[in-house]
Amino acid sequence: MMDYKKPLPKMSPWSAPFWDGCRRHELLIQKCQDCEAFNFYPKMYCANCLSSNLDWVKTSGLGKVYTHMTVYAYQPTEFTDDVPYVVAIVELDEGVRMMTNVVGCPPDEVQCEMRVKVVFEKATDEITLAKFKPAG
Amino acid sequence: MAEFKGKVAIVGFGEVPTGKFPNRPCLASALESCRQAILDSGIQKDEIDTIMPTGTFYDRRYNTDMVFSKLVEELGLLGKVKTNMQVFAGGSSSSAMLKTATGLITAGLAKTILCVQSDKTGSAPVQEMIDLFATFGIPEEWETPYGFFMGGCGSMSATRYMHETGTTHEQIASVVVSMRKWAALNPNAMLRRELTVEEVLSSKLVATNQTTREGNVLADGGAAFIVTTAERAKDLRNPPVYPLGFGGRVCHYGVSQDKDLTRLGFPEAAKEAYAMAGITAKDIDIAEIYDGYPIYPLITLEGLGICERGEAGHFVLERNTWPGGKMPMTTNGGMLAQGHTAAGGGVAVLVEAIRQLMGKAGERQVKGAKIAVETSMGGTFMDSHVVVLGRELP
Repeated sequence: MMDYKKPLPKMSPWSAPFWDGCRRHELLIQKCQDCEAFNFYPKMYCANCLSSNLDWVKTSGLGKVYTHMTVYAYQPTEFTDDVPYVVAIVELDEGVRMMTNVVGCPPDEVQCEMRVKVVFEKATDEITLAKFKPAG
Repeated sequence: MAEFKGKVAIVGFGEVPTGKFPNRPCLASALESCRQAILDSGIQKDEIDTIMPTGTFYDRRYNTDMVFSKLVEELGLLGKVKTNMQVFAGGSSSSAMLKTATGLITAGLAKTILCVQSDKTGSAPVQEMIDLFATFGIPEEWETPYGFFMGGCGSMSATRYMHETGTTHEQIASVVVSMRKWAALNPNAMLRRELTVEEVLSSKLVATNQTTREGNVLADGGAAFIVTTAERAKDLRNPPVYPLGFGGRVCHYGVSQDKDLTRLGFPEAAKEAYAMAGITAKDIDIAEIYDGYPIYPLITLEGLGICERGEAGHFVLERNTWPGGKMPMTTNGGMLAQGHTAAGGGVAVLVEAIRQLMGKAGERQVKGAKIAVETSMGGTFMDSHVVVLGRELP
């Protein structure tokens, strides 16, 4: 079995459907059935109306880079072999933002507002991470 | 709404030098700061009825001692102090302590409050501190797995800010130059050598738009200040410093969830604080701005209304925030030059505002300063606080 050495997400009980989705290569976010607000990251209660009536919806997996950084030094120890790597905040077309990595292009090509598309990277049998690559 | 105005005053302060002092116990920094503050104010120590230590990161046991009233015992105030309690908001603990103290005194629930901070992040084991600050405040499920860490906050804000405003990296780097200018005049500062923009930019690139010299340096330090009633302040030796307005906004826990990393909560916090104080940006004589990374003072100058959107970089590069400039900024050198003592970085900025308004800032004294703003930010720059302080009663 592949030996994944970087930190794995510490899961909360209500986020399991998100990670199940990633394993199936689907990017899911919560939608409140009462107020229709999208929630990400997954919440126990809707952050807009505190309803527990949250459902999961599949996103387009498309979005744009809000901001980004390429890490050259002082990275967390486990990421030493990845330097330089790109960390980015991506805003999905559904309006929510997520921290992620941009992969599939040289770091200096990443720009604010760049269109990106989700790509799934398997870390372990249980965890697949949602990352992004330049769209189209 | 601003019932506290005219009822509360800051009457004394103390501070130990910031730097790496492996043989100076954290308790020694706290006691020295408290003693200085008491002597500076001229208040009798038995008048202190509340001790408010803020949090310490380097040693959980020491932090617990602070929560469990060790200072009350050390200062010989057993049976006299009514409340010992921690008020802790990370880097914004300065504003949080002053806000809490002001409220307690106005409500008559306390009369004289000793606020104190000390930490030892500079001589704690380096790897431990790096790991601590790499993980604190970063959502473990949603941000840590992608290699994000606290040291990346400034880079993320800077890149977006440059995209939206056209500000250059050179302009951002000039904030460090301004901080070093002031630190050169500050005997309590750690990094007192002046730097040029070129020297800042040519240091090692750590992340996009962020070099080594644009990072803060962890240090050991301590500071204290005393808050009491404006009535009591009349008979004391220092010119009283009055809190005139408070404003704050918490804008994220996880950096990815902030709606605007180029403004944060400063526009709203400033509006609130100015309305309470009855001032406008034009009335400000000194801007004691919390830094951490050089992008934040630019965002703050704009949020405070001192600069128009997108003009703060030019304003700083053109030396307006230097000694003798139009708007003296962070006159102790901030965390980029005095040193970052965890929650103490912000407390040092507040203490500097008090020092300036009392006219006790020595070589870096801003002559005739009557109104200062103090700002602070905690965690991953999660919150934005603005406090207006004045030399005169409203």
